[in-house]
Formats: sequence, C-alpha cells, structure tokens
Amino acid sequence: MQRQIPLMLCLVFGVFMIIQFFIPHPISTTAYEIVLRWVRIIAIFALVLGVGSLTMHHSNKIKRKVKGWQFSIITLIAAVITALVGLLGMNVVDGRLIFFAGIGRTSLLQTFFQNFYIPVNSTMFAMLAFYMASAAYRAFRARTKEATLLLIAAFFVMLGMVPIGSAISPRLPEFAEWILSVPNLAAKRGIMFGIALGAIATSLKIILGIERGWLGGGK
Amino acid sequence: MHIFLMCLLLTGQFSPPENVRAFDTPNDAGRSITLNWNPCADPDIAGYQVFRSQQGENPVCINTLLPVERQFIDESAMDGMFYTYQIVAFKVVGEDTVLVGSEMSNLVTSKPQWFNTKRINVLIGIVIFFTLILYYISHAKRGKKLFIRRIAGLDAVEEAVGRATEMGKPILYVPGLSSVSDIATIAALNILGEVAKKTAQYETTLLVPNRDPIVYTVAREIVKEAYTSVGRPDVYKADNIFFITDSQFAYAAAVDGIMVREKPATNFFLGMFWAESLILAETGATTGAIQIAGTDSIYQLPFFITACDYTLIGEELYAASAYLSREPLLLGSLVGQDYGKLVIVVTVIIASILLLLSAKFPILNILRFFNVG
Amino acid sequence: MKIFQALAKIDRKIIFAILAVVIIVPLIKPLGIISRASNRAEAVFNAVDAIPPGKSLMISIDFDPGSQAELYPMLNAILRHAFAKDVKVILLGLWLTGMGLGEEALSITSQEYNKVYGEDYVFLGWRSGVLPVILGMGEDIKRTFPTDYYGQSLNDLPMMNDIRNYRDIPFFITLSAGDPGMNTWIAYAQSRYGLKMGAGTTAVSAADAYPFLQTGQLTGLLGGMKGASEYEFLVREKGYSQALTPASQAMDSQSLAHLLILILIVLGNIGFFFIRKTTAFKGEK
Repeated sequence: MQRQIPLMLCLVFGVFMIIQFFIPHPISTTAYEIVLRWVRIIAIFALVLGVGSLTMHHSNKIKRKVKGWQFSIITLIAAVITALVGLLGMNVVDGRLIFFAGIGRTSLLQTFFQNFYIPVNSTMFAMLAFYMASAAYRAFRARTKEATLLLIAAFFVMLGMVPIGSAISPRLPEFAEWILSVPNLAAKRGIMFGIALGAIATSLKIILGIERGWLGGGK
Repeated sequence: MHIFLMCLLLTGQFSPPENVRAFDTPNDAGRSITLNWNPCADPDIAGYQVFRSQQGENPVCINTLLPVERQFIDESAMDGMFYTYQIVAFKVVGEDTVLVGSEMSNLVTSKPQWFNTKRINVLIGIVIFFTLILYYISHAKRGKKLFIRRIAGLDAVEEAVGRATEMGKPILYVPGLSSVSDIATIAALNILGEVAKKTAQYETTLLVPNRDPIVYTVAREIVKEAYTSVGRPDVYKADNIFFITDSQFAYAAAVDGIMVREKPATNFFLGMFWAESLILAETGATTGAIQIAGTDSIYQLPFFITACDYTLIGEELYAASAYLSREPLLLGSLVGQDYGKLVIVVTVIIASILLLLSAKFPILNILRFFNVG
Repeated sequence: MKIFQALAKIDRKIIFAILAVVIIVPLIKPLGIISRASNRAEAVFNAVDAIPPGKSLMISIDFDPGSQAELYPMLNAILRHAFAKDVKVILLGLWLTGMGLGEEALSITSQEYNKVYGEDYVFLGWRSGVLPVILGMGEDIKRTFPTDYYGQSLNDLPMMNDIRNYRDIPFFITLSAGDPGMNTWIAYAQSRYGLKMGAGTTAVSAADAYPFLQTGQLTGLLGGMKGASEYEFLVREKGYSQALTPASQAMDSQSLAHLLILILIVLGNIGFFFIRKTTAFKGEK
C-alpha cells in the first residue's frame, strides 16, 4: 500500500499532465492551475524538512564532538539569527533597532545579505577562474590528433572571446563564434537529441511504474 | 453612431484601415477574439482605436493602439456573445483630432477549444516514441535477449566501492544540485540505490549531502531501502544522508569541505550541475579520489571529462539504473529509446531534403502542416 | 630535460598566484581595451530600444551574488536603458537569493532617472515554485503575484492596470546563472506563450543559448562579463547613461587571464612534446 499509492498518484498526474498539454479548454487549464498551486504548497513544506535535517545533522555533530564541531555551532547560530532578522523585520533607522519594518533597503536582512552573503558567494564563484586555469593547463595536451584539434579550437575561442582578440584581428571573434555555433553546436545537438529522448523514456517509465528507484527501489 | 458620422465626414482626409477580419482566437481557452486589419497608408496617423459592438448595440471603444500595430486580441470578450468590431485610425491635424473608421467587421463569437492543433506534431512524436518503447518493453518481457553496449563509468562503480572499502575511507555521493522534478536527479537517485546496496554489503560509509530538501528526503529513503534489501539495516546511518543548503555556492563550499576533511576514496557527482561542477571536481582531483561523474548538462560535461576519471555523458546517466540492475523491463525501454533516436535521425534527414527541394518545388513544402519549415 | 619536466608539471599554486596578479593589476591600472558590441548584444539592445514608451520590459533575476560580477552590471545597464527610454520595468526573480540585488539595482537606477515606484517600475519579487510561477504569469500575473516584493497589492499599482499576462509584455530578459533560468523560461514562457525574450548568461553557460538563438526562440544574448560590457558600451554610446561601467573595466583582467591560460597551455605542451620526444628517442635506442 505504501508503494502503491505513490505509484497510482504518479500514473494519474503523469497521464493528466500529458493530456492537459493538448487541451486548451478552461476545464483543463483550471485543473492544471489547481495542480500547480498544490505543487507550490508542497514545496514550502519540503523546506521544513530541510531545516529539520540541517538542525539534526549539526546538533548531532555538536553532541558527539566530531572533528570541526565548532563550525556546526556557527552554522546553527547563523541560521537562527538570519531567520529571526527576516521574520521580525528588524531595521536600523537612525541608529535605533525597530521591529516589523519589512525587508527593504534599511533592513538588517539586507545588510547581512550585502556584507556577508554577497562577498562569500562571490569568493566561491571567483575560485572557478583559478580552477579553470589549472584544469585547462592539465587537460589541453596534444596527446592525439583529436586532442590537438581540440587544443587549436580552444586557442581560437579563448582569444576570440575577449577584447584583445578583436584587437589582434576583427576576424578572430567571428571565427570563434563560428567554431561555437557550427561544429560545436552540431555535436551538442546530437547529444541533446539523446538526452531529450532519454528524458521522455525515463518519464514514461516513471509514469508507468517501471522505474521505481525514486521510491526507494525494490519491486 | 458618432464614429459613423465621422467616417462619412472625414473619409476624404485619409484612407481608413481596411479588411478588418475578426475571428475566434484559435487553440485557446475561449474569451478571446483576434482582429487583423490592413493599416492606413498614411504614415502620420497617431494610432488606432478599437470599437466593439455587442449583439448589435452601439460600438464602445475598448482599447487604443500604437500606429505600428496590425493585430489586436480582445481578451474581454465573453464566450457565446456575438460581436462586430471597427478599427478607427486617428491623426492630429493642428489642434483637431481627425478620426477615420473602417467598415464593421464580420460577426464573431468566441468559444474554448478542446484540442490545440498547433501541438499535433508533438502528439505524433509522442505516439511514435511511446509505441516504440512499450513494444520493446513487451519484447523484453517475453524474455528476448537485448544487447546493451559497455559503459566504462558504470563498470567502474564496483571497483570504486571496493577501493574505498580497502582504504577504509568513505564514499561521497552528490546527487546533483537540482530538484526531484529534474530527470537527471531521478536518474542519480536510481543509481544511488545500486551504489548503496554495494556499500551496505561492503560496510563502507556512504555520505550523501543534498541541496534540495525533497531530494534529501527521497535519498534517505532510497539508501535505507537499499540497506534493508541486502539484509544490512544495522549498518545504515541516517545522519550520513543530510541536507546542507539550497544556496549553490554555499553547497559547493560545504561539499569541498567534506572532500578535504574526510578525504573520500571515491566521489560520485551524478545529476544536474552548473558552474560549481569544476569547483567540486577539481577539489576532488586534488584529494586523489577516484571520481565518477555524470550529467545531462552538456555544458558541464567538458569540466567533468577534464577533472574526473569516468564521465557518464547525457543519456548514459539515464541508462545507468537499467545497466546496473539489468532488469529486462528497463533494458527494453533503452532499446526502444535507441529506435526512437533512429526515427528522429531519419526524420531530420528527410525533412532537410524536403526543405531544400521545396525552394524549387513548393508542393514539397509539406512541413508547414507541422509548424516547421 | 629538467626544464621541460618543470614546464609540463607547473604546480597549481604557482598558476593560482600568477593568475591572481594578472587579474588584480589591470583592476588597479586599467589598460583601456575597448569592447565593441557583438550582433547578439546589439539584438538585445535593439529589442529593448524598440519597446514603445509606456509599455513594459520584464526582467527576471535568475542569479545570486555568486554570479554578481557578470550579471549585475547587465541588470544595471538594461535598467538605465529602459528608464532613459521611458519604458516601464517589471522586475522579478526565480532565485530568492537574488532579490537583494534587484532591490539595490532598482533603487540606484530609479533615482538617477527620477522614476516613481508603481508608475514607472514594479518589483514583484520572488514566489516559491518555479513552474507554477512562470506558467501562472502566462495566465494572470496578478493571480501569481497578488502582492509585490514589499507586500503591496498589485491592484494598487497604477502601472499594473493594463498588464494582465505575457501578451502585454513586448519583451522579456532573463539574467540567468543556471537553473531555474534561461532554459526554464524558454521551455515554458517562450514555447508555451510565445513570449519574445532575450537572455544574459554567465560566460560558462553562454554556449547553452546558441541553439535557441539559431531557432529564433532567443532574440539576442549577453554572454558573461563581455556581454555586460557590450551592453554598457551601447548604452553609453547612445547617450542613455554616463554612469560607471564596471563590466567594461573588468574586461582588461579577463583579457589578460585568457592570455595567461593560453601561454600556460603552450608551455605545458612544449614540455609535454619534448618529454615525449626524449622518451621515444630513448625507447628507440
């Protein structure tokens, strides 16, 4: 029973969504809107599960004093403070802390966002540049004919994608663009066809209950 | 009435909009009528006003449009009511506004449709593809042997789990960063079940950090079920499958931290990834782990291929659960999928030839019936 | 021999250090390499330019501070362009963590052009659920967003009186750093409702957009920081704004970083080539 109900729901809603796609009638669109509204509501409840897991995971770490447990304290404190600041609408106006004043420009949440969240996130993204440099240096070796071809293509694309490329020759960006939008795209489209068909086949298997891995596997 | 008088008085000023055609907007949920008209020849007109007469009553202005518009969709129409429309062009001459109206349009009513004819091509595609898959599934059910090519990345799963066991180190399994509505995530969760069965047998620690709360819940159930199915529920640790955060780079930072601290022997990056793919894979490479990646995001594939030992490309990821479990029904659908691909390749070739020839022989342009070409 | 081995195996820490220098120096002392606009950036610019004054441009913030460097300058340049042309702006986002950036960009640019909230621009904010939001707006924006980012009813905002759904939006731009983002908008808003749209993406996912440009589903594309600098260039050239152009300034760093990576690849290959040659020669002996 525990398995059959989700499978039945999956079948009913899967088939409904396929049929709905072809019917523009208000009966179909209204039913569709109701389903969408439910999806939105369920997504909110899932967030509670996430918060629960985060709290449990880090509380356990602190309790067991596993390596780096101090960081778990920081995580939990940060999560609680950020939630409170947002929920209570804390704002600092003329040096005074006021409550329930929304989440506008003067809010503490916005201050946290700009002074903690933005710099930390940008730092992580910026690491990509360094990793790309080291990965490109390691990977682009002319080991075979194909690798050499890849190397030459990468050379032109990298030059063509920055202003210095057009300073060397105005034709360079055009050539880089051609590499990206013709040979590169041709290969990608082949892969995309496979992916699209694979996605449809997987969806069909899920709707029909042939693929049950997402339910925890088993028969 | 006022407008009609204006028309009579001022028709000499400039030619009115002509050929106003009103029709029920096709393929919609009703309550909508589309109007088309031939514009005024005068380039100086200031715009158009749309007048609507309901069941023969006096016309009422329902909208004012810019002079560039050639079409108007009236979304305030009621289904079953009969309307006629008039398009009135207006122009400012000195201090006066000069109005010139078209003739009244045909009588029209709106109604909802039961089938969207614009999607007939999708319907045909779905029917062909579903038939192929279902045929090959039933083919497999009858016990026919089906050939599936080798996928190195999936063959390496056993070796990767074994290696972790020998080294006494954990296995890290990242089920992508997307939600459970993403097919790649579902594929990653399917593989997780198979990997979990192996780690349960070998008693190897399996760490599954999650970015999506729903994926986290499903992943936990899958691992638990896998451990139970191989008779080792005692080895299952709920705390090893956990939610981190839904922030992309905070999640990447946390997983990087796990890789640096715990030094897993094997890293699985399967599912949907974005810019963080290289951050994860390069950090994993520096810790010396065996890395098996797989994604259907073709733009992250180059990063994984560069930094990982094995990479499942696109549909190989979807095929993984069939490949690992060797279940005939799943294998059958894979073969059906391949024939579907063959149909698409043949269709693309034929369509391209027809499209090229239709330039010379317009009769061949049958693709217009399918909203292409 | 040793030098070739060293060239083939440069320590990643050395690469990181040189790259850091190459990026930081031009930020302090710009080289002034001018970025010209590509056809694809021009297509986005022209589409915004063609929106009649009084009609609305919709922009979706589908990024967070992680990709701020590339996408935030695009947002500012597009807002300045729209405000200078008296085009109304509806801002929303699929990424909750990007809302702070939207609020900041709007408050800065609206002040520059004396624009009034509710009359010239509206900030819808974020709603949970991606598909319900995109598809819901195709039917009725006010039903999907009964209130704006600040909790005000959309019925109280005069600008929203004439706007019901995508049919009332002449052009839409997604500034997308991943998913949900460009692909989601194309699959659901463009394909289903025929929304005319352009995109700004991070450089790493710019190639993602090419198939959609060829099929015409995307009108134009701003790819990464280069795309942002191209839009800044166009906005400045047409005289719509004289504000700072952060993306254009950062392009010098990117140019040099690309050059460095190319040099590293060449060095790596020289090392690899000579080591292979020597090993093959020894093998023959």
